[in-house]
Amino acid sequence: MKRYLAGFVLGLASILALAPITGVGQTATPAAYTPPRTPDGQPDLQGVWQVMNTAAEDLEAHNGRLGVPAGQGVVEGGVIPYRPEALAKRKENFEKRATADPENGCLLPGVPRITYTPGPFQIVQQADRVTILYEYRNAIRYLYMNGNPHPKGPIDWWMGDSRARWEGNTLVVDVVHFNDQTWFDRAGNFHSEDLHVVERYTPLSPYHMQYEATIEDPKTFTRPWKISMPLYRRQEKDVEVLEYACPAYLLEREWANPTSTYFQPWDF
Amino acid sequence: MSHRLVAALTALVIALALWAVMPVRVSGQAFWPKSTPKIPMAPTWVRQKAQLPPFTPPRLADGHPNLQGAWDGAGGDGAADIEDHEWLDATTPSQETFISDPADGKVPYTPWAMAKHLEIRKGLGRGWPGEQGERTHGATRSLCLNTVPRINVDGGQEIIQRPGQVIIISSDVGNFHRIIPTDGRPHIGPNARFWFGNSRGRWEGDTLVVEITNLNGRGWFDTAGNFYTENTKMTERWRLVDPNIIDYSVTIEDPTIYTRPWTMNFPKRREGTDNRRLRAAAFAAVSAEERRASGYVENTAPARPREPNPYAKEVWEEPCFEGNHENTITQHESGFKWYSGVTPPK
Repeated sequence: MKRYLAGFVLGLASILALAPITGVGQTATPAAYTPPRTPDGQPDLQGVWQVMNTAAEDLEAHNGRLGVPAGQGVVEGGVIPYRPEALAKRKENFEKRATADPENGCLLPGVPRITYTPGPFQIVQQADRVTILYEYRNAIRYLYMNGNPHPKGPIDWWMGDSRARWEGNTLVVDVVHFNDQTWFDRAGNFHSEDLHVVERYTPLSPYHMQYEATIEDPKTFTRPWKISMPLYRRQEKDVEVLEYACPAYLLEREWANPTSTYFQPWDF
Repeated sequence: MSHRLVAALTALVIALALWAVMPVRVSGQAFWPKSTPKIPMAPTWVRQKAQLPPFTPPRLADGHPNLQGAWDGAGGDGAADIEDHEWLDATTPSQETFISDPADGKVPYTPWAMAKHLEIRKGLGRGWPGEQGERTHGATRSLCLNTVPRINVDGGQEIIQRPGQVIIISSDVGNFHRIIPTDGRPHIGPNARFWFGNSRGRWEGDTLVVEITNLNGRGWFDTAGNFYTENTKMTERWRLVDPNIIDYSVTIEDPTIYTRPWTMNFPKRREGTDNRRLRAAAFAAVSAEERRASGYVENTAPARPREPNPYAKEVWEEPCFEGNHENTITQHESGFKWYSGVTPPK
């Protein structure tokens, strides 16, 4: 009996000893990297960043098409868990994407789409706020860390309301108060105004960080799902965020087009 | 709020800038009765700043002056016409010129450029003297397209300084940010042309000097057709002359359309200081009868109790372009053409 007990204790001890190692292996992000700190002591994520993937075309794995490179997809598990009626809507969106994608109207792209919309963005940190300045459309996001909760809704903002906090070295951003007018990509993936996004920015080295966005919208999806991709720090000498004045390019083109349908009331 | 309501509210905000198309009924402080005293701009500011005592600005750790914080625009009517003008309607009060040099406060156009300016001006459909009833060119601002230096005139801005960079964010007129390198790097190549141009900053003593080149020449300084070209170079100077005042000037050079360099100059006041008082004083200077006669709608709702608002200092989304589609349609249907700049003679 004592031998069995001793063996059990020994076994338990080795399981306990092994557990932390197993735990490390299961963590998506190695804890080894310690980022530099801002003057007020926060992990310093400042700089110019950009994704390098085809998420702007389609979050799911996709084949190549004319002008569209193939991509492995950024959705964990591979497939977005649409409700049946929403899946039909996504299919319809895909077929009508040449005209129906709100990006064609140069509208603000929402979150997380702004992150992987082509072009770089710059992160600027202050004590109670992280500001992201995007090249695309000169868009701005303020991620507040001032202790205020989300303001009371309903509010339908294009880019939502962002409240941020630090979990270790990870910037966690909770985003709500969206409208239902934005898509997630050029393939028709979409959401309702009940969209709730939780973003995580985790620095992994001086040169890259992991970006994750958990997407919850019970009207559209059967369960929360997640996209994940690295953000790369732009390394070019003198790199700077330039200008993509989408509305100006669009209006100039449409003004010159005598058969333009742009100057008709929108149906929403 | 429903999307329609947001769109309607945004449209109302835009309507304040969309003077060219329709008469605007407004309530609130952006309303200027006819007897509003002339809004001071460059001439008054040049006199005022000459009286200021010497000022040593607070500095950041890197030794440069600390310009950080939230700053107002120029006040008044924004830039309806950068030159001195009389009262036009409730959105456009009598206002001094923005131009401190030359002394006459006028843009020193060459004869060719002056003819071009008058040609644009007569087709503004706005009610300015000299118009001939045509509608040729609306101002890009009413299409939610921002330009420099107009953005410094129009609304509030926040300045953030970082080593090697000055960041200027304008968030109350749609989205606009400038990230100005101050690390001595050269301008971008000459074929790249931008609505905001390409900005390079440097410190000359306590003054932030920003050179803007690579402009696409498609913007105006105002809504009255005062224009620049692709050849124009702008040099901005930002200097603290008081804890709450930046002396802002921008010198415009372009031998292809101006006979000499010229300069706009006005104060940018720290948000929450003088501009609000100025507007309130101008508003209070006229009688309620005259306000009503001019179309002002008095707010008769009982005053809401003032509670401390924890969100008061946050900047919330106010998209300009998203809510402006109906105004864009109106501009298009009214016959306004797209302005793609001018080509001066060689």
